[in-house]
Amino acid sequence: MSGLAVDDAAWASAWRRRSPGDKLLLCLGLVVCALVLPAWPGSVLVAAVAVGLALGPARVPARTFGRAVRWPLAFLAVGALTSVVSVDGGLGWAPDAAARAGSLVGHALAGSAAVLLLATTTPMADLLPALRRLRVPAAVVEVAGVVYRLLFVLLESLSTIREAQTARMGHSTWRRSWRSSGLLAAAVLTRSWDRARRMQEGLAGRGFGSGPETGLRVLPEVLPSSRLFLACSALGLAGIVSASLAVA
Amino acid sequence: MHIAEGFLPPLHAVGWTVAAAPFVVHGARAVVKEVREHPENTLLLGAAGAFTFVLSAIKLPSVTGSSSHPTGTGAGAVLFRPPVMALLGTVVLLFQALLLAHGGLTTLGANAFAFAVVGPWAGYAAFRLTRACGGGLLPGVFVAFVVADLATYLTTSVQLALAFPDAGSGLAGALAKFLGVFAVTQIPLAIGEGLLGVLLFRVLTVNARPELERLGLLRPVAEPVQGEAR
Repeated sequence: MSGLAVDDAAWASAWRRRSPGDKLLLCLGLVVCALVLPAWPGSVLVAAVAVGLALGPARVPARTFGRAVRWPLAFLAVGALTSVVSVDGGLGWAPDAAARAGSLVGHALAGSAAVLLLATTTPMADLLPALRRLRVPAAVVEVAGVVYRLLFVLLESLSTIREAQTARMGHSTWRRSWRSSGLLAAAVLTRSWDRARRMQEGLAGRGFGSGPETGLRVLPEVLPSSRLFLACSALGLAGIVSASLAVA
Repeated sequence: MHIAEGFLPPLHAVGWTVAAAPFVVHGARAVVKEVREHPENTLLLGAAGAFTFVLSAIKLPSVTGSSSHPTGTGAGAVLFRPPVMALLGTVVLLFQALLLAHGGLTTLGANAFAFAVVGPWAGYAAFRLTRACGGGLLPGVFVAFVVADLATYLTTSVQLALAFPDAGSGLAGALAKFLGVFAVTQIPLAIGEGLLGVLLFRVLTVNARPELERLGLLRPVAEPVQGEAR
């Protein structure tokens, strides 16, 4: 377990062995549909397909999926409500408040569900090589890869230090809690530097960075593309688009 | 609080992506140059990105008993400079979208403009100005953290106001609404983040002085010359 529920779900997903490119095409297609099609029925169809695929064939735990939607929901509650309140001559509802709020929430929830389908079925380690194919410089992808690998180490340090601080009454009062938070941030930063320096020394001893070929080179895992999956994705997306246009 | 996936209309999402792109590309070039010239710094840059991600997971105590999370843009701006933060901040936002469902892919450009471009640049400008006016490191850090946090949320409010102008009072009314709603949480959070910055740097000046000297934030202490006393 890595400590991030979405990442854990991605590694354990039944779609883990599917080609990242195939999943990326399907999910980005759903994201675009959620963004450009009318909320009714486009967003409803996108959300139903994304949630259905995640909880069905991809076997993502419903609890993980549900908990992950909390962040967008918190933003939506504040953002959608604020955008449909009118402040012209006192507080009141905008003329088309219900329709606007429904449309905003629909687009955002459907889009978030589509992004979550990708996030809960594809680990970042599979997605980063795809960035290379999008012509992102190798050095940038490499730094992003180090960020991904180090953040779990640092999250674990954060949790351990906080637990130790709490056990020593470090969060017993407001004043102590502030002091402990500052110490926690400093400890995590110095640990990240220390980790990076020690990893660098270890890699330098193995010849990293000394020749013309730089970079943390690893054997890529080959996950073949499925024509059936791509065909089903294309048909499904075409179905969503045509149903939305027919109803709208 | 980042703008959720699908919340912005398509044209706005594209527009903010185009606006953020030059800064992110500039940051990417700076990182590529740094990695090419000093391959050993790849891991340090990765550590900086991971720290920015993890900093947003630290819970700040608040008066109301609930907890809030720092944005971390001020820390990144002071420690790693705005050009590098433009790239690292965007990478962190991508990870937050895909690992925490916080933010989104079509709103990545808008969030990057607020979180990775405006926040770090405003915070860094405030830091340099405070230092130029004779302020010490800790007052500079406090101002940088507060300004970076407020500038990030001011930009987010402008982005939302442009996307959803008020039915009666237009852009000005919408801006007042979004600023008013975010001010309730953001002003105390910005001051809290400033305090966290001071506590963080007070520890770092003692425990990590060589690193701060290497980053150019502290002047190296002159080594006593052997035999000078004689």
